Amino acid sequence: MDAINRGELFKIGGLENVRISIGEIVEERAEQDWEPMGPHPMPGIATLRDWDFKLLNRYKPFYAPLCDMCCLCTYGKCDLTGNKKGACGIRMDAQHGRIVLLACLVGCSAHCGHGRHLLHDLIKKFGRDVPIDFGPEVDIEAPLTRLICGIKPRTIGDFEQVFDYAEEQIVQLADALATGQEGSYLDYESKALHMGMLDSLSKEAADIIQIACYRMPTSHPGGGPDVPLVEVGMGTIDPNKPVILVIGHNVPPAADIGDYLTEHKLEDKVELAGICCTSIDTTRVYKKAKIAAALGRQLRVIRTGIADVVVVDEQCIRADILELCQRVHSPLIVTNDKAMHGLVNRTDDEPDAIVADLVNERVPGVIILDPEQVGEVAVRTAVQIEEKRKNLALILTDEEFTRYVHACINCGNCTLACPAKLTIGEANRLAAAGDLKPLAELFDLCVGCGRCEQVCKKQIPIIDVITKAAYPQLMEERGKMRIGRGPIWDSEIREVGAPIVLGTIPGVIAPIGCGNYPAGTKDAWLIVKEFAERNYIVTLTGCMAIDAALWKDEEGKTIYETHHGRFDGGGVINIGSCVSNAHIHDAAIKIASIFAGRKLRGNYEEIADYILSRVGACGVAWGAMSQKAASIATGFNRLGIPAVVGPHSVKYRRAFIGRADLKEDWKLIDASNGSEVYVEPGPQHLLVACETVEEALPMIAKLCFRPSDTDRGRSVKLTHYIDLNLKYLHTYPPDWHLFVRTASDLPVAKRPELLKKLEEERGWKIDWKLKRILEGPIRGYDPSFNPTNLKRLIREKK
Amino acid sequence: MVTEIPFDVANIPGPETGEVVAPEVIGNFISRAKRPLLIVGSEILRDDFFLEIAIALGKKGIPIAATGHSIRGFVENGYTENVQYCNLHELTNCLRDPTWQGLDGKGQYDFVIFFGILYYYASQMLSCIKNFATDPLVRAVSIDRYYHPNARMSFTTLTPRQDEQYKEMLTSVVASIKR
Repeated sequence: MDAINRGELFKIGGLENVRISIGEIVEERAEQDWEPMGPHPMPGIATLRDWDFKLLNRYKPFYAPLCDMCCLCTYGKCDLTGNKKGACGIRMDAQHGRIVLLACLVGCSAHCGHGRHLLHDLIKKFGRDVPIDFGPEVDIEAPLTRLICGIKPRTIGDFEQVFDYAEEQIVQLADALATGQEGSYLDYESKALHMGMLDSLSKEAADIIQIACYRMPTSHPGGGPDVPLVEVGMGTIDPNKPVILVIGHNVPPAADIGDYLTEHKLEDKVELAGICCTSIDTTRVYKKAKIAAALGRQLRVIRTGIADVVVVDEQCIRADILELCQRVHSPLIVTNDKAMHGLVNRTDDEPDAIVADLVNERVPGVIILDPEQVGEVAVRTAVQIEEKRKNLALILTDEEFTRYVHACINCGNCTLACPAKLTIGEANRLAAAGDLKPLAELFDLCVGCGRCEQVCKKQIPIIDVITKAAYPQLMEERGKMRIGRGPIWDSEIREVGAPIVLGTIPGVIAPIGCGNYPAGTKDAWLIVKEFAERNYIVTLTGCMAIDAALWKDEEGKTIYETHHGRFDGGGVINIGSCVSNAHIHDAAIKIASIFAGRKLRGNYEEIADYILSRVGACGVAWGAMSQKAASIATGFNRLGIPAVVGPHSVKYRRAFIGRADLKEDWKLIDASNGSEVYVEPGPQHLLVACETVEEALPMIAKLCFRPSDTDRGRSVKLTHYIDLNLKYLHTYPPDWHLFVRTASDLPVAKRPELLKKLEEERGWKIDWKLKRILEGPIRGYDPSFNPTNLKRLIREKK
Repeated sequence: MVTEIPFDVANIPGPETGEVVAPEVIGNFISRAKRPLLIVGSEILRDDFFLEIAIALGKKGIPIAATGHSIRGFVENGYTENVQYCNLHELTNCLRDPTWQGLDGKGQYDFVIFFGILYYYASQMLSCIKNFATDPLVRAVSIDRYYHPNARMSFTTLTPRQDEQYKEMLTSVVASIKR
């Protein structure tokens, strides 16, 4: 007994009347000393609030209410117009902070829920001990997990504690949404930033888990820049074969379909195509998979009836998917408890019985929640039903088309209902007169929502009419996209870290997210093309990665074929799906670690400060639509990465816009000596919308300026900023002078001309003999300037 | 109470929605404004007539903030004297700050006119001004062919067949300005 009390070893034999219970087993891990723990491991809601307030004081939240009322409790509805208070005392600005937090909660929960679901399913299939091994070129396997949680994951099972942490934080943040909680819009935004950080963590966990288990591309042979191209577009799908269409974000069911096709040697006999992120991730697992389209074409693709079976999992699936599938006689298999569409759960039923019910249309669809049961049912159903569906005529006949376009009375109801404000009536009128081109052109501009058909006075199936007009082009849509490569390699960061921080690679541009574009998919391609040709590094994910793949140059090449896939100047890189966005954060974090030697473990604030001050990166969510996009952007923002969004994104209500005219907002500290330095506004905003792509291109370039730019780097960035303004706006930007610190910041080729403009237009003093600027800039150029927002990082006191 | 149909049919923000007025009413308000500002967007480039109207308003002494890529139209037509490119999001952010000194450094604006901006983008910016630029009041109106519930005043939503009528309304706005 004494030995037990002293905690020493003891013999069990000889013990009587003893009950031994074993609690949680805590393993001694040799790697706990891989790096000293930083100041903020597993931060709570208030832990990084000071950092948030630094951001919020510079980029003050801007609100554009979509609705002037609050309807969340039974005191309401409350009219908050003019920033009034509701019955609970909340003002309109705080109410909007609350709505922003709500949107970020939904988005973060989607990624965290998806990740936890993946972990659960893949532990069941592969076990907890699947190693995290991304090959010889990736040592820092999980930058966000290390940064936020202070954990270095070795196996997928290690992510259980990551999700435990994230889920607890999410619930606490959701608690703050209740009536009678936060009253400060700044604190709501701080909570939203915290939620955004959790979103980025959850995405990283989700993607790492699926990469590890499915051996998706990493830095093992065949990965990285050498990932193969995959076919994109309706024109790449062979309608003479059985077609399985997968839609959503959670890859295990689609992976099981791929496995079944491989095992039964059906890879060349059955088409497996997808929409949205499931399709991107399926191509990382099953080499014969194709991408039918991004989200904007979901409705149209299903309505063509090309799919013999539709398999859905979660997120971004149309809520009327069952109705759509029934209309075209495509059996529906639902595989996720987040979206069950009122169907019967047939998990664990005999596959023969399920297949028979689907093929004979005794049921329109089934739920199968075990991903390992989906493959057999989906493939056998598709093969058997294909013959029956062959003769379905689902595209309008010429006679039907003519009748419909003539029936249109151009009442304008459809345009009023259309999010893209398409002038459908006018296009119908021209089609009735024999010119189909305007109607066909609407296909790409249309975001595929179907609201128009519900309000048409003549019950015209407008979606089908537009699809019919565009059908020849649709069947010619054959693009190519690089497979999602996941993590950027440490060795690549070693090569480009210095050029990025010093500015000679002008920036990292990240076109990501959904397809609610203001003017069709070509904008996505143009953004990529313009910046890749200017030697920026372009990293894409999600729907933008898919849509950019549809367009070709004069030689018939897609943007992925004309540019390399290395993380280097001029590279066009598909990182992967929505959860793969984490690797873009990770690249910025790795720059801080590998190039600058900053410690990562539990050190979020310092790394975010580093990235904000030095890493010229800019996200472009040109068609952002979902709550996930809101939480993704907010997560980027907390890490110090700005984003340009399309005009629809003003409906998110909140932006983070800086004021270049307020000098006090742009004060940094020189960490070398503690002095305060007023700097130029770089980046000027954290989240800002542009009306058109022509306006966005120069804005994206502007948001790559950073205080740490060398003069050579600044001259490269200024070259592109000015050039993009001249090319697309036909004028010099009114604020280019703000980014000039010294004459060597000016592009060499135009230096004399620009010095003259500074003198004549701005009243600056120039020494023409020495070609030097004597007076005018906000500050001079100091190569030793060590910018920071954090006093605690000052190396020596002044 | 909304009796007009917004161009985005579900864009009904709340109890306080803008008035539909005749063009001359807007013209009179512009005449009396201390510091008017015309804010144009890329949609004015769809038809030369719209650009001509904007320039006509500029020649009446109203400064022009050219948002989106609309500045191109002014540059190509050789009219840039009181025209400046602005990002609309940035501009609206400034309009809600009572201490902002305006594009010319001479003070905040009291009357802003939206013209030719993508409907949903304009509506959101008008919402910000309506709700947060209230002390002092910045009146924001629209002369687009759509009903804008977040504008203090706007036109009604015109059908596709009313192109000529709309152009006459714009001409009336210009004609009724006495400055």
